Amino acid sequence: MKKNILISPIILFFLILLVFFYLLITDRNPSELPSMLINKKVPAFEAKLLLENKTFISPGEFENETTLVNFFATWCKPCRDEHPYLKKLSDERGLKIIGINYKDDSKRAVKWLEKLGNPYSSVLLDSNARLGIDWGVYGLPETFIVNSNGVIKYRLVGPITKKNYNAFVLKVKEVEK
Amino acid sequence: MQRILLAIVVCLMMSQIITLNCNSVEPDEFLQNPKKELRARNISKNVRCLVCQNQSIDESSAHLAKDLRILIRRKIIQGNSDEEIYSFLTERYGDFILLKPPFKIGTLLLWVLPFVFLAVGIFVIFLYNNKSKKLDYNK
Amino acid sequence: MAPSLGNLTLWLSLLFAIFQFVISHKKNFCSVLQFNKIAVNGLLFCALVSFFSLMYCHIVSDFSVINVFQNSHTTKPLLYKISGVWGNHEGSMLLWILVLTIFNYFIFKLYNQKNIIFISKTLETQAIITIGFLLFTILTSNPFDRMIQSHTNGLGFNPLLQDPALAIHPPLLYIGYVGFSAAFSLSVAAMSINTEEKIPWYNYLKPFVLAAWIFLSAGIAFGSIWAYYELGWGGWWFWDPVENASFMPWLLGTALVHSLITVERRKSLQSWVLLLSILSFLLSIIGTFLVRSGILTSVHTFALDPARGIYILTFVALLGGYSLILFGLKSKNFLNRHYFSFFSREGAILVNNIIMIVVCASVFLGTIYPLLVEVFSNNKISVGEPYFNSVTIPIMMPAILVMGMGPMLSWGKSDVIGILIKSLPSFLLAVVISSIFFWVYGSYNMLGLAGIVLAFWIMSNILLTIALQLNIKNKEVTQENIPKYSSGMIIAHFGIALLILGITGSSIWQKEKIIRMKLNDETSIYNYNIVFKEVSEVMGPNYVALQGNFWVYNNKKNIITKLKPENRFYPVTNNSTTEASIHTNLSRDLYVVLGDGDLNRGWIVRMYYNPLVVWIWIGAFAIFLGGLFSMKNNLKKLKRLSI
Repeated sequence: MKKNILISPIILFFLILLVFFYLLITDRNPSELPSMLINKKVPAFEAKLLLENKTFISPGEFENETTLVNFFATWCKPCRDEHPYLKKLSDERGLKIIGINYKDDSKRAVKWLEKLGNPYSSVLLDSNARLGIDWGVYGLPETFIVNSNGVIKYRLVGPITKKNYNAFVLKVKEVEK
Repeated sequence: MQRILLAIVVCLMMSQIITLNCNSVEPDEFLQNPKKELRARNISKNVRCLVCQNQSIDESSAHLAKDLRILIRRKIIQGNSDEEIYSFLTERYGDFILLKPPFKIGTLLLWVLPFVFLAVGIFVIFLYNNKSKKLDYNK
Repeated sequence: MAPSLGNLTLWLSLLFAIFQFVISHKKNFCSVLQFNKIAVNGLLFCALVSFFSLMYCHIVSDFSVINVFQNSHTTKPLLYKISGVWGNHEGSMLLWILVLTIFNYFIFKLYNQKNIIFISKTLETQAIITIGFLLFTILTSNPFDRMIQSHTNGLGFNPLLQDPALAIHPPLLYIGYVGFSAAFSLSVAAMSINTEEKIPWYNYLKPFVLAAWIFLSAGIAFGSIWAYYELGWGGWWFWDPVENASFMPWLLGTALVHSLITVERRKSLQSWVLLLSILSFLLSIIGTFLVRSGILTSVHTFALDPARGIYILTFVALLGGYSLILFGLKSKNFLNRHYFSFFSREGAILVNNIIMIVVCASVFLGTIYPLLVEVFSNNKISVGEPYFNSVTIPIMMPAILVMGMGPMLSWGKSDVIGILIKSLPSFLLAVVISSIFFWVYGSYNMLGLAGIVLAFWIMSNILLTIALQLNIKNKEVTQENIPKYSSGMIIAHFGIALLILGITGSSIWQKEKIIRMKLNDETSIYNYNIVFKEVSEVMGPNYVALQGNFWVYNNKKNIITKLKPENRFYPVTNNSTTEASIHTNLSRDLYVVLGDGDLNRGWIVRMYYNPLVVWIWIGAFAIFLGGLFSMKNNLKKLKRLSI
């Protein structure tokens, strides 16, 4: 009985160290949040479009094909850096990408897209961050992969870069199946 | 690598703050009704700023913090209860956004263990006391 | 030249440490002392040279050294060039090592004819710890690594860290942690030697434990002072993981200090002392680990490398495993069959120990719980201030209640009824004074009530004890019912009472006002009128600031002070900070922070009325002073016993 009392703290000690060890070994980001929307249907919302005089109504627009939803802004440098990869996804793979212009100046956004090219099938306006909050966005850029049934399957926090492009494409392929 | 990128993103967002002038809670955000405003402040103090290191949205000068503060006040005016507002936030951002961990099965240990520790401690004191009493009888 | 010298002496330190380990491990008595003299002095000398070499590099801005390049700039003021040496990970490791070698030296000085094996064993353990730190520093965090490209200037330094309180905070903490390492080594030695030797190992422990505890207290206090005036919220404790990392060893250290007293006087609680020494040190290292491994996000993690984390973790596993298993095997040799009743000083100390450990365990649980959740589920949760406050405060309160009784209780057994009757006047005094407070501040908060009553309960009991002692001296009444007190205990306990007073006052009765003010606008907070007189630009050594000038009037329309908060911009690192302006007196702080704004719309101004805040710092200082008195008395006694 006494032996048990003395041994259990030692075991507990090593268990805690094991937990720390595991956390160090796995490739994790301590400040990254898992998305709460994975495997849930796209939020229902209405939004004005940047380039047309129409209203975008979700979730209707999310049926039929795998869609990407990309939150971006002109004041966000990593968004600028990932832009060519978005173009690549849209041009080469024919992916439908919906852009959501988050807390931005519309005129600047129009100029930005004119200058860099427009990979988006539609660009939604989110000047007061309501869409961002509904999608659980906390930092730009963020890209969501939505399947053909309108269910969100994956979120990438941070820009698409040379390093993660291929992995991202694989993820898209997975969702497309 | 992803971590470094995220750090860059956050830093860049934060650097924009110097030029775009965001603040911790501002008087312009305050609700007219002091009771409702107090509710808003108390809720804000329990909501974590997701792009800061360990601050609440009440203190933080991040843009997301301000957006959430405004959202909370709007919901209070619309008549939502505190629980409804917290649910709204956790549905979108997870339990991580609450500074006070919720009472759930997952956090049962967290809330219960300290008092279990205390009970064990009191038990140990009684053990000592009894042992000492026995010694006293034996003397 | 200097970097090479620094690096060389760093490697030499490692050699000396290994030498010390090998020598202390041997059983050849005569040479042990001689050779250890060489080892210990060599270690100390090399560590000093290495540390000051790094300091030299920082002072002359030698940007060929990576550490200087990453953390310094020519425009950085000299004071912060110096404190910047330990304000980064690599430099702080060098400071750790320096303090380790200094304590190592003091352990060496304990050698005498009777304790050669014991002290050698201690030095052996201490050598292992020093080797561990040296290897870690040399292999993963060498401050003397050189730049591949040369640069004419450095990256600068976080302006938040350019502050006197924050400059002194790490050295104080490290003295604390290293002191616990000495306690650890002494305890391991005590358990390892033959028990027939009858070494009064606890007498050796006391000065180190006291030193560790008081400097850790001071370190934590300075960290909080800094947070209070720098972070702009009138808050001074946030239950941030890194704060918790320093608080947990402090809690165990408090239990350890009290247990040592019991061992000295009554020979009981010996195994508690051994276990607490081990755990305090382990928690100090685990705390270091949490801060530097990148495993958590917090306001002050040094953003680091998992590889370093794995190293520290392995180090902790080895030291912890060895010492805990040793404790498991040997603790039965230290059991003492002395009787004590629950209502005695030992009983009170035991209660205090239990509560300190329970609070420590709870804080540890809260700090690592998010990590556990992450490992075992796909979820992430936060454990923040509300949790820690709700859990620690109710558990601490009985400890404080018992602490109030402490001075009245005798060793062994106390007359319960007698004590309760004797403490009645102090209880009444506490209630009366508390009522006055509540009448003055006009608030009826239960928690506030508890805090104030507890604070004055402690103070009244202390005064009562002193009065009774003086009574005895005058009338020569027998001393059997009134235990002797020590000046150290009186001052330190009084300090805790003041601390509680300050904590309660500043939390419960704080008033905040956030408004937009244009120039010449006037506003009021509590009984004060504040006028926003002007705004001006101010140049600092490495910053540009916008300074507001606020004139503060009391209710008699007399001007009390002019508060000048600033918003500073540091061009080198592209950072901004806000500097609050504070007017302090014994009853309250007036605290003003300038937000953003401009001439047209006015500026956002945050002001706080913080009652009794200064008593927190005074209380902390009293705790430090009380500990110093105890240390002085203890060292005197050790000299007398000439052990």
